[in-house]
Amino acid sequence: MTPLPSPSEEQDRLLEEASHIVKTQSLQMKRCLDSDKLMDALKHASTMLSELRTSLLSPKNYYELYMAVTDELRQLELYLVDEFQRGRKVPDLYELVQYAGNIVPRLYLLITVALVYIKTNSSLKRDLLKDLVEMCRGVQHPLRGLFLRNYLLQCTRNVLPDTPEDEGDQAEGTVRDSVDFILMNFAEMNKLWVRMQHQGHSRDKERREREREELRILVGTNLVRLSELESVTRDKYKKLVLPGILEQVVSCRDAIAQEYLMECIIQVFPDEFHLATLTAFLKSCAELQPGVNVKNILIALIDRLSLYAQKNKEFNTLFETFSEQVASIVQSRIAMPAEDIVALQVSLINLALKCYPDKVDYIDKILQTTVETFQKLNIERVEYNTPVSRELTRLLKIFIDQYNNVLTVIQLTYFAPLMELFDFYGRKSVSAYLISNALTNETLIPTSESVDSILTIVSSLVQDQEDQPAEEEDPEDFAEEQGLLGRFVHQFKSDIPDQQYLILSTSRKHFQLGGKKRIKHTLPPLVFQAYQLATQFSALREEDEMWSKKCSKIFRFCHQIILSLIKAELAELPLRLFLQGAMTIGSIDFENHETISYEFISQALSLYEEEISESKCQLAAITLLVGTFEKMSCFGEENAEPIRTQSALAASKLFKKPDQCSGVCTCSHLFWSGKNNQGEEIRDGKRVLECLKKGVRIASQCMDMSVQVQLFIELLNHYIYYFEKKNEHITVAMLNQLIGKIRDELANLESNDETEQISKHFTNTLFHLRNRLEGPPVEGISYEGLTL
Amino acid sequence: MSFFGFGQSADIEIKLDGTDTRKLADIKSDDGKKERFYLYYDGESVTGQVNIVLKKHGSKLEHQGIKIEFIGQIELYYDRGNHHEFVSLVKELARPGELIQNTTYKFEFLNVEKPFESYTGSNVRLRYLLRVTLVRRLSDIIKELDIIVHTLSSYPEMNSPIKMEVGIEDCLHIEFEYNKCKYHLKDVIVGKIYFLLVRIKIKHMEIATLISYLFLRYHLKDVIRNLPLQASVYSTLNSTWSIAHGPNVFNENETIAKYEIMDGAPVRGESIPIRVFLAGYDLAPTMRDINKKFSVKYFLNLVLMDEEDRRYFKQQEITLWRKGEKSHKGGVSVSHSPHVPRHLVSGEGGPKGSEEPPREEPMAPPLDSMRREGDSQSPTSSNPGSD
Repeated sequence: MTPLPSPSEEQDRLLEEASHIVKTQSLQMKRCLDSDKLMDALKHASTMLSELRTSLLSPKNYYELYMAVTDELRQLELYLVDEFQRGRKVPDLYELVQYAGNIVPRLYLLITVALVYIKTNSSLKRDLLKDLVEMCRGVQHPLRGLFLRNYLLQCTRNVLPDTPEDEGDQAEGTVRDSVDFILMNFAEMNKLWVRMQHQGHSRDKERREREREELRILVGTNLVRLSELESVTRDKYKKLVLPGILEQVVSCRDAIAQEYLMECIIQVFPDEFHLATLTAFLKSCAELQPGVNVKNILIALIDRLSLYAQKNKEFNTLFETFSEQVASIVQSRIAMPAEDIVALQVSLINLALKCYPDKVDYIDKILQTTVETFQKLNIERVEYNTPVSRELTRLLKIFIDQYNNVLTVIQLTYFAPLMELFDFYGRKSVSAYLISNALTNETLIPTSESVDSILTIVSSLVQDQEDQPAEEEDPEDFAEEQGLLGRFVHQFKSDIPDQQYLILSTSRKHFQLGGKKRIKHTLPPLVFQAYQLATQFSALREEDEMWSKKCSKIFRFCHQIILSLIKAELAELPLRLFLQGAMTIGSIDFENHETISYEFISQALSLYEEEISESKCQLAAITLLVGTFEKMSCFGEENAEPIRTQSALAASKLFKKPDQCSGVCTCSHLFWSGKNNQGEEIRDGKRVLECLKKGVRIASQCMDMSVQVQLFIELLNHYIYYFEKKNEHITVAMLNQLIGKIRDELANLESNDETEQISKHFTNTLFHLRNRLEGPPVEGISYEGLTL
Repeated sequence: MSFFGFGQSADIEIKLDGTDTRKLADIKSDDGKKERFYLYYDGESVTGQVNIVLKKHGSKLEHQGIKIEFIGQIELYYDRGNHHEFVSLVKELARPGELIQNTTYKFEFLNVEKPFESYTGSNVRLRYLLRVTLVRRLSDIIKELDIIVHTLSSYPEMNSPIKMEVGIEDCLHIEFEYNKCKYHLKDVIVGKIYFLLVRIKIKHMEIATLISYLFLRYHLKDVIRNLPLQASVYSTLNSTWSIAHGPNVFNENETIAKYEIMDGAPVRGESIPIRVFLAGYDLAPTMRDINKKFSVKYFLNLVLMDEEDRRYFKQQEITLWRKGEKSHKGGVSVSHSPHVPRHLVSGEGGPKGSEEPPREEPMAPPLDSMRREGDSQSPTSSNPGSD
């Protein structure tokens, strides 16, 4: 048993058979034409055309066959035109071809012959066109009818009358006749096309729709022809052409057809025509079937016209028209999904931004409409990453990107209500976007009111939300988002210091609510902003007699902020902020500055003592503390001494010996380059030496020899430093002693990578000393007696 | 004695007058071939001359008289040899005597009545002929010459369109319209079919499919032989041709042409144009009760065919008439250039293409019902033609 051929093989076979007959018959037709046997030629043509009566071929294969057949018909047409022009007219040819018994071949021949008549005697044009388009009604089979009428359209392409109505010859016809002709053909083709949908079994629906897709261009060609008529003016388009098309489109009540044809209209006709007929077109959109994706149609139109209107500014009602009609379409289409409605608003925004970039109120109106739409739909929350949410995000991003100015964005009354529609993640995403935009564009926020509204809008970043999910966010993402906010704080900048103060206190109110996870990101920049502001006031002391009071107010403000960070169980950060504050205060000589600065330092010290327990951190904190204090010059001896002593004490109390050693050495600098309130270094060589000696003592207590040697080398470096700074308490003998000790111990160390590094450090130190010995003498320093 | 080649014999030749201007017309002969004869109309005189040419020079021909007859006769094929003469005129050309040389006789049948049209159908023939008989003792010499007669009709006074709404109840309602009820032989039938209701009953899948694909064709009918009714393919149709034979009436139908006017399945509200050129078919005028022997009638039969080749049909009689070549009354198409197509939809007469079909709801019964072939209700003994 041979297997049944697959459907596609069967199709191929059918097509091949039909094509073969077409080839044979056309060959015979041409032979007959060559020997001037017209009647026989027509018979062969008719037989050839009979192949187009088939119901077995798929649309694609039918198209193949159609192309082959119509190619051959062209030969017949050329022959006849040639004969007619030579004056050898065949009487009643138009009648003769109508004796063909079958309608499909008959009509193909009729069209072919009519074309010959028209080409050789244009006075028949009008009547013939009418006749053809009417006679084609006889083919009611969708596929065959569509192709037949396509042939009609194709043949008449270059002969359609295209003169204005009042100028043309009656018999030749005018553009009016062409319009009637095409509109009728269009209506008939569309009916056939739509009818395909309702034929056959419902399980084949998908295939039918695919086939319809393949055929739609045949219907659309009618519209292309209409658009090619040059005598169709804007007025004629408005009164005659478009109403004709729309009537058919709306009345066919078929979603596939409506969607395709509406888009076709938008594509084929010029922008000026669309502008003139906007209302009519949009009204029809409202009448389309529920299944039609009206959104795509409208967006296509809006996008097209906004490009046009951008170049031609005179259409100032464009926005109003669109916005009204879109509203009424939305109203009439109850089933329209929210995301589609929003998408429409997106394209309206595009239109407004492109054509009316100055009209912020247009944008606001769109936002208002959107908000109201959601109210009507009873949607209170839009879930993140749903289609609606994506469209809504797109809507907001468009004008954020267009304005590139957060300040303009927050002027929109309905921006905030719209934000409220998003769920937590949605709000956060848009907020982050908004802030990034401000950062990229370096937008400065110059008033406390603006700061207030922005921070309200982005509150999903600033503080915990009611609808916030319970689980922890990814810490990296969180840090990144808060970092964004931190950077944003630096954009809060007014040229007026008093305003700036208001800005800062407003910001603080917002950030203060952020909870301990957030404030470590948001408050420090605020503190730094405040420090800068104090410096600013200081510079303005000539103009503002209140400057001093204001400065102390600022620092009290900072003090409170830092305290709140401490409350959030932070230690290092407030410590640093206090130190930075102390230094800033030290540099501004406002009233009480010493006291306040002392308070800051002492706060830092207490933090050190109470909150910092890890030894490495302690060392780092001591180093920082010493570094800060060493730079400051605001303290009288009364305040300075306790700090120095306390620091040294703290250093010596460090837990680990090596840390103690490093700490003590660092503290030694407090007694040397630390300053009095005159800004002079105190250079207490004795206390320095005490520190160093204490360091040596501590180092000697280290059990790990390699650590001990390391510490000795560091100590040696300190000794050399002070020696070169001319501390008379440091002698060459001390250096010799230390060098000797290092040499001895170094020799005992195991050789390994660490030892390598240590001896390198030592060699470098010695190298420095050797240079000093051998190099030119430096004033006041004598290394005499140094043994290397 | 001519049998044996003895004695005198003669050829008879009938020559009609005015043959250089008289038209010729074609007609089918008995065996279906085309023959061509001179064409006469009713009331025209038939004149000419008869030449008698002697075959043997110098020998005399004795005869009992020479006559010429003008005969109009009907031959019914079922009744061969029994000719019904409806015209028979005789003129004596010569009294009994002798012919010694070739002789010519003029003859005249003045203003002869020729009431019927020459016609050759598949079982009847109506012919006109001239017959010259040279009467002799043993065998007459006879010569016949056919002429053709066309009956001209004047333009019909009443020629209203045919409009009819037909259908099968709740299934299919159509309205059809032909622009006239009387057509001349070169005329064009222009019409339209409106589909008022095309209903598909999805419940019954077979029926649904059945109605959803319909083919529509025209049948032109003419007369044929007296076969028994039951054998006819179109046995359920009204009579198209009847032969009166005693108390019995036999009908026969013949399809002259099939013409597809629609392909595919229309839906409610569609209208389909009809245009049929009659000139392409070899037709004779409608003949009614010709000499009480026969009638020839024409019907347009609208046939819808479904996917399974079931037919639904409705037939409608039309009258065909022969239009005079010269005299027209107003209304008929004025002269056309031979190259200009006539009968475009946009032209005169006939429904306009752009007209909307009437929208009124199909009338409630009584609808003139269409017949479905093979319907149990369609009786084979359906009402024979009333004519």
